Amino acid sequence: MSEISNDQIEVSGARVHNLKNIDVSIPKNKLVVITGISGSGKSSLAFDTIYAEGQRRYMETFGAYARQFVGDMERPDVDKITGLSPVISIEQKTTNKNPRSTVGTITEVYDFLRLLFARVGEAYSYNTGKKMVKWSEEEIVENIFRRFDGEKISLLAPLVRGRKGHYRELFEETRKKGFVKVRIDGEIKDLAPKMQVDRYKIHDIEVVVDRLKVSDDFKVRISQSVQQTLKLGKDLMMVAVEKEESKSKNQNPRSNTSNDKTLFENSESDVYNAPVDRNIVLFSKQLMCEDTGLSYEEPSPNAFSFNSPYGACPTCKGLGNVYTIDMDEVIPDQSKQLKKAVLLR
Amino acid sequence: MFQQVVQFAKKHKIKLDTAVNDLPKEQLDLILFGDKNISSALVVDVNDESIPHEYTGSYEGIIPMLKRWFASANSTEALREWVVQFMTLQTCSTCNGARLKKESLWFKIDDRNIAELSDLNLDNLAAWFDGLELRISNKQATIGKDVLKEISERLQFLLNVGLTYLTLNRSTRTLSGGESQRIRLATQIGSQLQGITYILDEPSIGLHQRDNHRLIDALKNLRDVGNNVIVVEHDKDIMLAADHLIDVGPKAGKHGGTIVSEGTPTEVLASGSDTAKYLNGEKTIPVPLERRKGNGKIIELKGATGNNLQNVSIQLPLGKLIVVTGVSGSGKSTLINETLYPILSKYCYDSKANPMPYKSVKGLEHIDKVIEIDQSPIGRTPRSNPATYCGFFTEIRTLFAAIPEAKIRGYNAGRFSFNVKTGRCDVCEGGGMRVIEMNFLPDVYVHCEKCNGKRYNRETLEIRYKGKSIADVLDMTVEDAVEFFQPVPYLYRKIKILADVGLGYITLGQSAVTLSGGEAQRVKLSTELGKKDTGKTFYILDEPTTGLHFQDIEHLLNVLHKLSDRGNTVLVIEHNMDVIKVADHVIDLGPEGGDGGGKVLFEGTPEDLIHSKESYTAQFLKTELLNIP
Repeated sequence: MSEISNDQIEVSGARVHNLKNIDVSIPKNKLVVITGISGSGKSSLAFDTIYAEGQRRYMETFGAYARQFVGDMERPDVDKITGLSPVISIEQKTTNKNPRSTVGTITEVYDFLRLLFARVGEAYSYNTGKKMVKWSEEEIVENIFRRFDGEKISLLAPLVRGRKGHYRELFEETRKKGFVKVRIDGEIKDLAPKMQVDRYKIHDIEVVVDRLKVSDDFKVRISQSVQQTLKLGKDLMMVAVEKEESKSKNQNPRSNTSNDKTLFENSESDVYNAPVDRNIVLFSKQLMCEDTGLSYEEPSPNAFSFNSPYGACPTCKGLGNVYTIDMDEVIPDQSKQLKKAVLLR
Repeated sequence: MFQQVVQFAKKHKIKLDTAVNDLPKEQLDLILFGDKNISSALVVDVNDESIPHEYTGSYEGIIPMLKRWFASANSTEALREWVVQFMTLQTCSTCNGARLKKESLWFKIDDRNIAELSDLNLDNLAAWFDGLELRISNKQATIGKDVLKEISERLQFLLNVGLTYLTLNRSTRTLSGGESQRIRLATQIGSQLQGITYILDEPSIGLHQRDNHRLIDALKNLRDVGNNVIVVEHDKDIMLAADHLIDVGPKAGKHGGTIVSEGTPTEVLASGSDTAKYLNGEKTIPVPLERRKGNGKIIELKGATGNNLQNVSIQLPLGKLIVVTGVSGSGKSTLINETLYPILSKYCYDSKANPMPYKSVKGLEHIDKVIEIDQSPIGRTPRSNPATYCGFFTEIRTLFAAIPEAKIRGYNAGRFSFNVKTGRCDVCEGGGMRVIEMNFLPDVYVHCEKCNGKRYNRETLEIRYKGKSIADVLDMTVEDAVEFFQPVPYLYRKIKILADVGLGYITLGQSAVTLSGGEAQRVKLSTELGKKDTGKTFYILDEPTTGLHFQDIEHLLNVLHKLSDRGNTVLVIEHNMDVIKVADHVIDLGPEGGDGGGKVLFEGTPEDLIHSKESYTAQFLKTELLNIP
């Protein structure tokens, strides 16, 4: 190694293709251009000798077992190459024919952009265009104290939101857990054994976790109840202010004949965009639209990737376009007989 | 299915031989969209056989059936392809092409969502990121600091290699070879690795002269980080920018393979080699004194609006050598490869090609044939070679079969094919090589010891034409073959063309996989030239100078000139000034790439083009044209 100069790649005795046993030294850390007419042996020197040898040496570092998968590298017909550092070839090959591969993904800029949106992006409600909020448990407790100080409130944990069913088991289960009251379609009722609701109508059911008067005496109790409510309501809870007269007639604003749009959990609240009750306040540990109760999941970089089911548009699966039937192609000529006009090419 | 339709029609008293126009809408809808409610018992006669086949169920309708076939995983490729004929690819109506679900599009930074950002040109995107940390809240800025830095850096690298006009959501399928190479180059520069030897194959391809300096800067940048950069290149600017220039030659093939000169560009310039002469301007491609007049007929394409084209209308004078040029991303390929070529091939061959949107086209009746010659490889198997591709190998085989000795032995033309059992070496099966499987070690290729790489068996090789066996012929270079086959006019003509396009150095039997993109393109070109032209043929070539040295360009231009002299129209997409300056008619697109382009800046002769103020091409062409000694 001692005699090998450190600033040159020495190629001696290259005979690949038409190369005539040539010796070349290529200075390192320089911009080197190899030129010549087509077929003169430029590529034979650059790719078939220098690059091939670099690749081969790299492959040699794998074990025999691994090498059988990467294929065979032929030893270029050259006496000696010294001073070669790892070789990367940047060729003209059009990289990828996959429709999911974009400039953003291959340069990885899009991956960073996704990360940026997941961590820094601000969520807006697609119902109202308003910025969404999310609360922590302490914030919810603080908020309760600020807004309802001195008032009598119920802490409600939503169990069913806009779904059909008789919910016999649910009531039974809730009752066995020790809760005494539920709020069904806006009306607070006592839990009774064998209770059920109309199975063909859409219902909102919340369990009343606690009813108390907001005052400093109950600070510990409130925060404990809030915790439990959030747990039961899966990060979502409601606070209902109890006013003597508003206790009864709270019609569910939604017409019960409307179609049951069984979308996934989050966008279920699509149909839920009515002003529920001014005395009810929604709190969520997840991103939520305060007006309509619409909530988003905590954003992850995946949610911004069109190549992930978490982010892709459900219709086009993240491709941006879809095949649709073109009537002009199905019936190219309207003046032809029906049996000869349809689906003929 | 058809039986179902017939039965269904009978039941609903729909007359299948009424014209679609005259059919009541309800009836047509029934046929097309089916009958959901009534479950009708249809009796279907299969081929009018005696046994009636009972079919019970509702009639599905043609459109739902197509949809089902398209979506079903059980459908075969062929069926799906058949269905696709009746469909069009449309922007997704749910996301409007944004590709993401609704929720994700409502996350915003500085009032922009991620899809909007992906749709920005890279230079606009970089501008948006510039100073972003001041526009967002402190908390956001702290969280995003590192990511922002990373994005800005990467964008800067992409801008540095001249890719300002791309967008992040641009599909890589639609990138040219040069563009994807430059993206990889930018990524590599971004990786900040040191001590690597980078080898690049003609990075200047597809790059307009204007953007050359950006590329050179990028290469120098890669070097300055501490890497070895080796570039195989024909471009003058890049050669002159080199620290060390190696000239391989002097000629091609057997006459090449030695180092003609090496050293700094100045040293090479002083060496007096052919390359030096072109670099010095001692040798140039002459500008024709007179431009071809053409035959006065024109094809007129109006209102092309595909991709970034801004309502482009062009006139293509026939019988001329036309060059379409413009900076990268200005819309050349969209206009020619994706609009014009599909229109022409639809007209000439009734093909199914789908042109990008345009308003009207006139003058198609003046041509009867269109030929597009691109750079895709001619074959992926080692058994394909220039002789088989160009088709004259069949004729060589016929020639060998006609030799008296062959006739005595009863050998026909098939005997001389290395793909047919009778004549080829049965050890290597005509491959000339034998693969020895080493099980867990990589396969080893060895010369076939039976035929010694000649591919044929002994008996076949005994048949000699003018002292050469069929294997000797395959081993000949094109140059030698031209001489050898001079007395056989039909072979001579075809092989001569291969030599004319600058492929004199390849051998007739050279395996197709070893041909470069440029070589493959020229093999195709010569194949097309070997066919009888009609005098009304329209040729489209995409950057034929790829991989060509100055001298080769001269050869190529001679061929193109010959074609147009015979009344054909040759349209070339090209950045090379040597090609632009000899054109009869130049169409310059621009002025910039991407959204800043898509307009026709100039149409006319090169002499007039240099007066154009807006055009970048004009500036470079001016120096080139005024260089005439």
